[in-house]
Amino acid sequence: MNKFKPALASVAVLAMIASLGACGESNSGGSSSADGKITIKVQTFNNPGFGKPTAERAGADLWNKYMKEHPNVKIEETVAASSDDARAAFNTAISTGSNAYDVYLAEVDWMPSLMAMPDQFVDLSSYTKDNDWVDWKKESATVNGKLIGAGTDIGPEAICYRADLLEKAGFPSDRESVAKWLGGENATWDSYFAAGKEYTEKTGLPWYDSMASNWQSMINQVEESYVTKDGKIIATSNDKIKEMYDELTSTKDLSAHLTQWSDDWNAAFKADDGFATIQCPTWLLTNIKGNTGEDFKGWDIADVFPGGGGNWGGSYLVVPESSPVKDEAAKLVAWLTAKDQQVALFTSANNYPSSVSAQESSDVSSKTDPYLNDAPVGQIFANRAKAYDIVPYKGSQYFDIQTKMVDALNRVDATQEQTPDASYKQWVNDVKALS
Amino acid sequence: MSTAKRKAGNEAGASPSFKARLGIFEWKASPYLYVAPFFILFAIVGLFPLFYTAYIATRQYNTLTGDGGVAVCGATCGSDTPSIWANFAWVIHQESFWDALRNSFSIFLLSSVPQIIIALFLAWILNANLKAKTFWRMGVLLPYIVAPSAAGIIFSQIFSDKMGVINVVLTNLGMSPILWHANTFWSHVAIATIVNFRWTGYNTLIFLAALQAIPNDVLEAAVVDGAGAWRTFRSVVLPMLRPTLIFVIITSTIGGLQIFDEPQMFHNGTSGYGGPNRQYLTLSLYLWDMGFNKVTIGQPNLGRAAAVAWLLFLIIVFLAVLNFLITQRLASGGAPKASKEQLAGIKAQQEAEYEIARRSGVEARRAAGIVDGKEN
Repeated sequence: MNKFKPALASVAVLAMIASLGACGESNSGGSSSADGKITIKVQTFNNPGFGKPTAERAGADLWNKYMKEHPNVKIEETVAASSDDARAAFNTAISTGSNAYDVYLAEVDWMPSLMAMPDQFVDLSSYTKDNDWVDWKKESATVNGKLIGAGTDIGPEAICYRADLLEKAGFPSDRESVAKWLGGENATWDSYFAAGKEYTEKTGLPWYDSMASNWQSMINQVEESYVTKDGKIIATSNDKIKEMYDELTSTKDLSAHLTQWSDDWNAAFKADDGFATIQCPTWLLTNIKGNTGEDFKGWDIADVFPGGGGNWGGSYLVVPESSPVKDEAAKLVAWLTAKDQQVALFTSANNYPSSVSAQESSDVSSKTDPYLNDAPVGQIFANRAKAYDIVPYKGSQYFDIQTKMVDALNRVDATQEQTPDASYKQWVNDVKALS
Repeated sequence: MSTAKRKAGNEAGASPSFKARLGIFEWKASPYLYVAPFFILFAIVGLFPLFYTAYIATRQYNTLTGDGGVAVCGATCGSDTPSIWANFAWVIHQESFWDALRNSFSIFLLSSVPQIIIALFLAWILNANLKAKTFWRMGVLLPYIVAPSAAGIIFSQIFSDKMGVINVVLTNLGMSPILWHANTFWSHVAIATIVNFRWTGYNTLIFLAALQAIPNDVLEAAVVDGAGAWRTFRSVVLPMLRPTLIFVIITSTIGGLQIFDEPQMFHNGTSGYGGPNRQYLTLSLYLWDMGFNKVTIGQPNLGRAAAVAWLLFLIIVFLAVLNFLITQRLASGGAPKASKEQLAGIKAQQEAEYEIARRSGVEARRAAGIVDGKEN
């Protein structure tokens, strides 16, 4: 018998390897653990503020609160380093049907893709009856009456400015005068750029950070920009686009020629020759603070925005249909996006509520920010949110075209290698090549 | 009669012969079974994905919605007929693909060539009789321990356009700053620097090991023959390093063309990877972005990314073979390889000489009175 040992051993090894290959899948099935608790796995990115607050990141400590109220539930949050990482993991999980997570935080940019496959996600409308989102937030996640995403925050935009730099240059630097200078209630892009021209001509310093960030706000004020509601691509034939492009690129002298999110961009927030203004959604305040340090004095915020209102960013929570605990997950999502939790998220982290009653609550509207010279941020963002009532239509091709447009603007602005006309022509070709 | 006999003989020997055959089978098969785990794993995680990628490359495959039938090229090549080559056709119609190919090659050359030369030089120094040998050798390998993305983050700060160390120094000296992210060539130099930082030490150690395997008597013989340092290096050391050289060059070719982490970290921002004008978009960055970021529903993005992956694979195979041939030439000291006839001639001559020597030895011993085979 001894003779057969090696052969037997080899067969055993083979069998083990074969079973190794097979067992990778089976783990995901059992989401309720041995102690009878239901585990809900959540994927988020950056800092949505759900977790426990630490020195580096603010948080409302909502997980613990929910687990205390629901002792049978255990929540595991995985925070991806960037929204790109989160998106890649999300895509893989959805396309393979593996139940990697039960709840995903989805950025507003992902929504067109998600809306094109509503069958993959749980209809949250019956769970969220009591959640009162602003209309456009709800509308952007509804397909044929099915609500696939529960809105978390929104990003109403105001103008943040460097009071220290304006003062040094001899311009009025208090909130009311700056708002008036930029055009007040009826501020337009013309009046915003005109003020910038005054500032740049006098100081030689840049007025805004990059063309790309302006474009983001401008394009969000157009109802049908690149794609029509019936699915036609009109990007290159839309006169409105060319008009805005020409207006923006003609202000090249006002730009700091930076690429958003680059190291240079981060560093410019506290530089003496940094840009004087930036379009400022609520969540950006966290980034500004992070880039300058809490102790930096100089940034302030004005209750004004060119061309009406603006919104940049804001997320949704979605539950995949394939989740083994989708019922519990949907309940968690409904709770997280309800009024009280949204209020807590705004007061502890800078995520402005998408719920109307949360926006109106006194905790939100009375919030001031000592970092911004005690600005009444609650009041300012409430006004800014009211000013935004456009629901831009973004077809599934929107973000491919938008990415190419940002490239085109960066060729004129950040790398300064092309004239606006040459860059526009290349963009037209890029859009053609997308099909 | 005879058949019956044979049958009987067979039946009689059936049991032992089966056992023996099993024994022989075990003897022959067990070596293969021992190496099988590697090959089975390789088949699962290497070979299968390779062929499955080839299959996806022929389909209209979207990352999120899955298979949508045989690939169609669409407006880009003006053809709506389904064809298994359509994704490949679409890819080679894209300017981005050719830019990415150019960038991959440029970065590969800018990193691999200096890297191997510096590594050889460093290995030669480390092979000398230095004090605190281990310290120097470990020091060379230290950058290799740094994770590629960490190196990418550190270097992206050095190569920042405005606040980066290099440009701050340059502007303080009154020179104009280098546009690291805008200029195609300089962006490649920057990325190649990150690659070289990590991989030079690794290659140095491999060369060092090979250098130490060269027997001293060969080198001493070269010195006795009057060869200088350069001549020794060129005609003795380099040919003896050939197998190592081939290994290092082929691995750095594969690594160089697949370069991903460094340009991705160098990008320094979100979306629009590879620069606004594709200054530093490499092939692997291109296929990753297309396959896993640009997942627009309705686009066969994964199929096209798979086509890029296969083109990249073919390019690398082609280059590896080319490299192998060139390296063989280079390291044989530039002399043309001896043909079979020449080798046969040399061998015959050696044998003739040996025969003469043996005979003359036999005759000399005979003359001295020593009998063949016995000492006295």
